[in-house]
Amino acid sequence: MSPNLLSLLFLLMIFISLSITSSLSTPSPADSPPYLWPLPAEFSFGNETLSVDPALTLSVAGNGGGSPIVRAAFDRYMGIIFKHASGRGSLLARIRFLRMVEYDITSLKIVVHSDSEELQLGVDESYTLMVSKKNEQSIVGAATIEANTVYGALRGLETFSQLCAFDYLTKSVQIYKAPWYIQDKPRFGYRGLLIDTSRHFLPIDVIKQIIESMSFAKLNVLHWHIVDEQSFPFETPTYPNLWKGAYSRWERYTVEDASEIVRFAKMRGINVMAEVDVPGHAESWGTGYPDLWPSLSCREPLDVTKNFTFDVISGILADMRKIFPFELFHLGGDEVNTDCWKNTTHVKEWLQGRNFTTKDAYKYFVLRAQQIAISKNWTPVNWEETFSSFGKDLDPRTVIQNWLVSDICQKAVAKGFRCIFSNQGYWYLDHLDVPWDKVYNTEPLNGIEDPSLQKLVIGGEVCMWGETADTSVVLQTIWPRAAAAAERMWSTREAVSKGNITLTALPRLHYFRCLLNNRGVPAAPVDNFYARRPPSGPGSCYAQ
Amino acid sequence: MLAYTTYKERETSKILLHFCYIFFSLIKNIFTIFRFLLFPCNLKEEKMRGSGAKIAGVLPLFMLFIAGTISAFEDIERLRIWPLPAQVSHGGRRMYLSGDFKLVTEGSKYGDASGILKEGFDRMLGVVRLSHVISGDRNSSGSGGSALLQGLHVIISSSTDELEYGADESYKLVVPSPEKPSYAQLEAKSVYGALHGLQTFSQLCHFNLKKKVIEILMTPWNIIDQPRFSYRGLLIDTSRHYLPLPVIKNVIDSMTYAKLNVLHWHIVDTQSFPLEIPSYPKLWNGAYSSSQRYTFEDAAEIVNYARRRGIHVLAEIDVPGHALSWGKGYPALWPSKNCQEPLDVSSDFTFKVIDGILSDFSKIFKFKFVHLGGDEVNTTCWSATPRIAQWLKKHRMSEKEAYQYFVLRAQKIALSHGYEIINWEETFINFGSKLNPKTVVHNWLNTGLVENVTASGLRCIVSNQEFWYLDHIDAPWQGFYANEPFQNITDKKQQSLVLGGEVCMWGEHIDASDIEQTIWPRAAAAAERLWTPYAKLAKNPNKVTTRLAHFRCLLNQRGVAAAPLVGGGRVVPFEPGSCLAQ
Repeated sequence: MSPNLLSLLFLLMIFISLSITSSLSTPSPADSPPYLWPLPAEFSFGNETLSVDPALTLSVAGNGGGSPIVRAAFDRYMGIIFKHASGRGSLLARIRFLRMVEYDITSLKIVVHSDSEELQLGVDESYTLMVSKKNEQSIVGAATIEANTVYGALRGLETFSQLCAFDYLTKSVQIYKAPWYIQDKPRFGYRGLLIDTSRHFLPIDVIKQIIESMSFAKLNVLHWHIVDEQSFPFETPTYPNLWKGAYSRWERYTVEDASEIVRFAKMRGINVMAEVDVPGHAESWGTGYPDLWPSLSCREPLDVTKNFTFDVISGILADMRKIFPFELFHLGGDEVNTDCWKNTTHVKEWLQGRNFTTKDAYKYFVLRAQQIAISKNWTPVNWEETFSSFGKDLDPRTVIQNWLVSDICQKAVAKGFRCIFSNQGYWYLDHLDVPWDKVYNTEPLNGIEDPSLQKLVIGGEVCMWGETADTSVVLQTIWPRAAAAAERMWSTREAVSKGNITLTALPRLHYFRCLLNNRGVPAAPVDNFYARRPPSGPGSCYAQ
Repeated sequence: MLAYTTYKERETSKILLHFCYIFFSLIKNIFTIFRFLLFPCNLKEEKMRGSGAKIAGVLPLFMLFIAGTISAFEDIERLRIWPLPAQVSHGGRRMYLSGDFKLVTEGSKYGDASGILKEGFDRMLGVVRLSHVISGDRNSSGSGGSALLQGLHVIISSSTDELEYGADESYKLVVPSPEKPSYAQLEAKSVYGALHGLQTFSQLCHFNLKKKVIEILMTPWNIIDQPRFSYRGLLIDTSRHYLPLPVIKNVIDSMTYAKLNVLHWHIVDTQSFPLEIPSYPKLWNGAYSSSQRYTFEDAAEIVNYARRRGIHVLAEIDVPGHALSWGKGYPALWPSKNCQEPLDVSSDFTFKVIDGILSDFSKIFKFKFVHLGGDEVNTTCWSATPRIAQWLKKHRMSEKEAYQYFVLRAQKIALSHGYEIINWEETFINFGSKLNPKTVVHNWLNTGLVENVTASGLRCIVSNQEFWYLDHIDAPWQGFYANEPFQNITDKKQQSLVLGGEVCMWGEHIDASDIEQTIWPRAAAAAERLWTPYAKLAKNPNKVTTRLAHFRCLLNQRGVAAAPLVGGGRVVPFEPGSCLAQ
């Protein structure tokens, strides 16, 4: 016998002995809930443990199966699933490749029915996922994801990756509790996260990290609050002086940077909704164009009297239309303190000439901005003050975004508007004193009984305002609490509303937080009362 | 949408930040005698929220004063390079990087069969291109194309890619002026010196917002560089909290940006034993859970990942004191079930396990040193356990003698596996004269220790906790910068025994969620102390604030969650503002 063969045999013996150990020490499935986050709409599972081939192959079918979005996602998830050194290419894997050991799951089949890659609000994100051992019907052991769109397939891949666990005894990836049958779809079509690049600039790589992490929790809208009074980091070719309002030359996004972010997000099934917040949160615009200020000493809100103001808005929106294909565009409209209008002579005269109160001028501004957005084929989104101040005058297509008053969505849908729920008491991530369970227990449909009105609540959004969150802390302020909201918005209302969440949700959230850590996302401990605080002492990730 | 900051406050703050930024920008041009002027600004930043307005009135006066005195003196602080190279000169011309910026190695003795150089070059381009999408026409920029850098010519004179401790890490980097040939040139003795040169090159590159290409300003550049100390370490602790593989890899990548070169991996401690030891397969039963573990292959992968970036991995088992978790798999290692630490000194099995571990280590941890710990040994369990008390009596040993016996026996085992040993300073304090002469003493507790150790002829690594423990989250970066390893050591022979220093990221309150911002930017402050020639280091750390702030923003741009500088220790930003001003 050649020495090579001997050592192979020896390794095989080790392997067999390890397998025996593992079968003895595998925890019984009844002990633990399925560690999936967010919980799928419907699922069933069994009692088997299946091994997954590190050389797992992708086979595709359907009109959309050949999409590069599917291929790229498969490659991403292979990196996530087989991240341990002993996964692909290890000695054990090679032995198995020689068919001395067979894997239960050797291929992943992805069926996508539609060839459209259009990503819009309400895109079909449903999928079914089946994982079973090979049997009489199938010669090859396989997992199958079936979806109507590539974006449904992406959600299915995420769920598949959460079923896969690295087993440290066999040093292989395993799926416990098979066979799995999962049929899943989101409860809400809009599941958002706001980031704020005006209060602190976030580098492109960091925004990409955020987008990537969103896909793990099946969030699907990045609300990009690009500009505010503090800085204007965005390149606007039509008005090239605007980004003089950036903090520095280094803290800017070019047009191409923004397009890259949109592309990166689309590959992960995530829409990017851009916001320019007018007229209130716009002081930084005037750094490049001081004419936009009522006066040098009174700089906010934007000067309502000048056509130039609306020309600039139109120019910005025209430039942004080329970058952001999402049908929703956010025009802000919150916290408008109109004192500067009252106190600046030329604005005051303009108001008097039109017989406007400052509130009338606020309305005039918002409605005129809405028409600009609509003319560019955008559906306007506005913060709730616009609804509470002059709701009946808003364009009926307007989507109202709640933040301040808890029953605003209730009122908005009653008037026929669509609504996004972001109640600051629970879903503002910069409020550090809101622990995960409060985030989790917040229900967007509270107080709305009529199913036809419920449909007008298109979803919700957690908001990561940037006053005290920069690159150094943004991810741990987002996670794990954003995940609590993500399950609220994805899973069925029954699943997230019944039972004791300490038993039904907390262990899974611990697990999901550690999963984020394992994927390199610095999600903070779950159990701390205050968000983004360090762990209280040494201990297991799963217990903190 | 945020109610808690009023408009006025934000307004004032912004103006103040703006002033401070301008102030800093001017300060950087001031010759040393105006150094004291930095203090008012720092003071101002701390007060910004409250009484900032008054100081704002004074600032313009300062600025006028300074503006009138900007000198023609070369000021190294204008160079946005961290850590500062040994020798730098530059011109004032602009060049652009070609769209297909190439690596050329003609004349190099190093074949790069392992791809270390090529990968390092690709990583360098990767981080340079991370800041923005490069969309400009990259081959026609500049004056008639002459300002276009076609690539980097790397010439390495040693053919080996062995990562040897103490080997030459020097490099010479020349970026030509637009009239000269179109390649930048990097010369190094070893590929690992060349990797440092690539890091420096990456810091010369900036994105030009008009042309949307990468540019290098102030060419021509001539940089000659080498580290002051051969040991520039960072400790991570995977026992108090498990750190997933991608997190460790991120830490390693970030170390390369600051030219640190030793990852001290405190693998095991009282709380958990996450690493697979094939010789004693139950040891990792002491892990927090079945999934918070490193396979043997994972560890080898980490060593390999680090090595390809010029970083040594120093593995530690901390015996006999910090080892309770060993007994989860092998309870015989405990003195008794209810007295579980230190390891049982009386049992040969204890040393067999240590031998097994170090034997396994020697297969993957190829660094010449292994760390055997030896700190904080509370020996009361030994006397309190009748079996061990009897053994002590039989061998006529006090507890302290047994501690010495344990450490020395462990040292012998390490030596038998070809390692030189590092021990924490308590071993030196208690029985320094008995330590093997190959021992390196690792300082952490006492000031003045380094003097004593080097006077005794042993080598030393500096990690004095009041300045270089990163888990002291109140410790400001200025302290990390100012901590001098040669403090009170003037004798050249003694100085040569100080191998370097290490900043320690103990893990009691550190997990995957907060490790990066606790390490950075403070570790960078220490990294410059360990890299840059003493004469070039700022006597007053505040003098380097602007350059360090820039490096912190660079880390952010590269996806590293480095914390703000302003506020002392590990802080979060207290209000909106520019990365460069926080």
